[in-house]
Amino acid sequence: MDRAFLEGLRRIVGDAAVLHDPHDLLTYECDGLAHLRETPAAVVLPSSTADVQAIVKLCARAQVPFVARGHGTGLSGGALPVPGGLVIALSRLNRVLHVDIANQRVTVEPGVTNLEITRQVAPFGYYYAPDPSSQQICSIGGNVAENSGGAHCLKYGFTVHHVLGVEAVLPDGEVVHLGGALVDTPGPDLLGLLVGSEGTLAVVTKITVRILRRPETVQTLLAAFDTIDAGGGAVSDIIGAGIIPAAVEMMDSLAIRAAEAAVHPNFPDADTILIVELDGPAAEVSTLFAIVVDICRRRGATTVEVAQTDEHRARIWRGRKAAFAAMGRVSPNYYVQDGVVPRTRLPEVLTRIRALEHASGLRIGNVFHAGDGNLHPLICYDERIPGQSAKAVEVASEILTYCVDAGGSLTGEHGIGADKSCYMPAMFSPDDLALMQRVRLVFDPRSLCNPGKIFPTPRLCGEVPGPYRRHPAEDAGVAERM
Amino acid sequence: MQTTADTPATDIVQPSTPGEVAAAMKRASDEGRSMVIRGAGTKMGWGRPAARIDVMLDMRRLNRVLTHAHGDLTATVEAGATLRDVNDTLSRLGQGLPIDPAFADEATIGGILATNDSGPLRHRYGAPRDLILGVHLATTDGVLTKAGGQVVKNVAGYDLSKLIAGSFGSLAAIVSATFKLFPIPEASKTMRVAVADEASLTQVVRRMMGSQLEPMAFEVDVRSRSTQNPQSKNVSASAAASAFNVLLRFASLPVVVDAQVAGATEALKGIATSIDVVEGYAERMLWRAQATRLWDGAGAIVRASWLPASIAAVLSELPAGAELIGRAAIGAGLVRLDGDEAEQARVIGQLRHSPHVGNVVVLRGSAALKALVDVWGPQGDRQRLLSAMKLAFDPNGVLNAGRGPL
Repeated sequence: MDRAFLEGLRRIVGDAAVLHDPHDLLTYECDGLAHLRETPAAVVLPSSTADVQAIVKLCARAQVPFVARGHGTGLSGGALPVPGGLVIALSRLNRVLHVDIANQRVTVEPGVTNLEITRQVAPFGYYYAPDPSSQQICSIGGNVAENSGGAHCLKYGFTVHHVLGVEAVLPDGEVVHLGGALVDTPGPDLLGLLVGSEGTLAVVTKITVRILRRPETVQTLLAAFDTIDAGGGAVSDIIGAGIIPAAVEMMDSLAIRAAEAAVHPNFPDADTILIVELDGPAAEVSTLFAIVVDICRRRGATTVEVAQTDEHRARIWRGRKAAFAAMGRVSPNYYVQDGVVPRTRLPEVLTRIRALEHASGLRIGNVFHAGDGNLHPLICYDERIPGQSAKAVEVASEILTYCVDAGGSLTGEHGIGADKSCYMPAMFSPDDLALMQRVRLVFDPRSLCNPGKIFPTPRLCGEVPGPYRRHPAEDAGVAERM
Repeated sequence: MQTTADTPATDIVQPSTPGEVAAAMKRASDEGRSMVIRGAGTKMGWGRPAARIDVMLDMRRLNRVLTHAHGDLTATVEAGATLRDVNDTLSRLGQGLPIDPAFADEATIGGILATNDSGPLRHRYGAPRDLILGVHLATTDGVLTKAGGQVVKNVAGYDLSKLIAGSFGSLAAIVSATFKLFPIPEASKTMRVAVADEASLTQVVRRMMGSQLEPMAFEVDVRSRSTQNPQSKNVSASAAASAFNVLLRFASLPVVVDAQVAGATEALKGIATSIDVVEGYAERMLWRAQATRLWDGAGAIVRASWLPASIAAVLSELPAGAELIGRAAIGAGLVRLDGDEAEQARVIGQLRHSPHVGNVVVLRGSAALKALVDVWGPQGDRQRLLSAMKLAFDPNGVLNAGRGPL
């Protein structure tokens, strides 16, 4: 990165908001996917849309690739820097601009945390629905980039269902407004396209979201089962009864033990636990909750624990939401995937994952959104043992092929990022990817905006991009492709 | 129902496989022949008047429900299937695709998605763009592609199913689409809440938005007295020209519906001049009449959006005789305008300048009106992206005969 470019950055944001000392850059080498690291040439910390615009224009002129970054909690390497490129860290764009309770809209800058939006409106009885596990620290800008979900998206949908409008800086530095406080912008839904585009189309600088009225009642239960199939059967029965819970989560014994060690949620020592939460009008919740309790009992639940207080509920959720980080208590390293399968095929895919666990010798914890088939296998490994890191990646890729084979997806909420771009051909044909690329070039003809993400490239994925590699388990004859 | 803009020279192509759709797209593009994609044709009159149409791509032979994965609450359907047929199939297993757009009995899935059209059910379930999970498209280069997926949760790749929602057939042909489904509620009741004037209407909207009641539909309905039943009485001076109603539909288990109706009745005590509760056949007839009322009347119909708590300000922009039906808590709906074209154009201009109203699009209007006003309205700083998107998908500019929005 040449001196003139750095000077240009300093003129825009001041000396203190441009980082290029190697020591200062360390923080920005990776996001929540810590095994992928790149050092950016510099990091810039804008404080306004005008700053972002000037920075992006400078990048466009100098042909410097840039990556927008929120709070770095992403799990797919979406904020992985480009070697020699610039990181635009949006943490200083953290103002709440407008809270409109009467119209149930809030406008914020991208560096505001997800939970801060709820904090702003909670005194009025409102909340912001998407609740990724990292909601205390993740930025709403990152949520927009990744189309984040969370435990409650079975009923309430994802970020894309809650964002009404954005202001964004296009890769040539022009500002564009998509959607807004009013719904139904005429024409193709460019906003819906932008949400979830993983920072590859534009840098979002303002976001208007809708907020929801707190439901009248929330009821949460935790049921323990001896087998994952029994728990899965309960979920099928709940959905089959026409009930759409606010959340349906499952954890297996390894995940339960890890959570217990980390945050002591007082989970039962079981093979599988199921967390079901219903919310809504009191009459509805109490009627349906009784049905859910009954279903769990009929499916052989060994215990059914109903949260009696808000504190009790919070403790259950603390255990669930801590599950990823808690893996650190039972394994030196872990790698989390988030493939999706049609919910009805969960038992079959989980059986395949079990077989893979035995064949690979790596422990795999399972935490998943059972209502929508979104798996979060946590693959435990020890990077100090030669070959284990690579093996963990292989196991993860194998699990993704199971998901795609079952008619599912590579990712339910974490994004493709740099992590899974090489697997995209498993899910999309070259024609599918070519059309997406064409759309990308409409926004970013020079491919400067977060390049190297989503799309497989020969440089990163080898000459023949593709997911299929024979797994050691297949070579050993203990697993086969169905 | 609108008349089509067919001219005698228009070729009609009726593909029955995705491959035939793609081939027709490529042929039209290669030969530079103007092509319009149609389903049932219910919205053919929307948008700008069509220029010459060389080819009409009629999707109605692609009309199957390809899969109904009821345990997964998803279905994949072909674009030419009517919403009604799809829901007939899904309802056999107690599920449905909860969309109620204009002309819901005839409209096809492809047309509904291409226009992203919705109705009262949007309050609970969202618009088609909120329910779609994945899409198969045929582009003008003759290629079949897909985006999204068949599972309810998926963020792999760009979600082109959103891009296609609202594209009005200007970018690509929709071949099939996968949607998220919902169980059909066991019971339903609708409250018709009459109020005296704009101020009371606003009060009802604000109070219900702030309540913890969870209606399935929540509509504002402003009708001209001239189209009212002549037997209506007790017309207050402040509402001489219009009648103001709010419709609240509750659907769930029977006990829940009754509790919600009771809760809403209590909450609206003192504001409403009358509250009727209907169910069963009468309820179905009420919603049927709501769906068609504006379209059955004369005049122009425009789509508009507003800040929901500012509904009174919206109504203050409308002349006597105008009617409005919309989603109370979302702030979106239809306005029917009487008068001659010059008057309609004046009101449209006024709405577009109002700080409380936006995204005003003329759906139905005479050729004279559509010559007087910009049908789609200004696209602002989005225009550059939209033009580039059009060029990327339809480089020869053959799709949609200038009807817009692209």
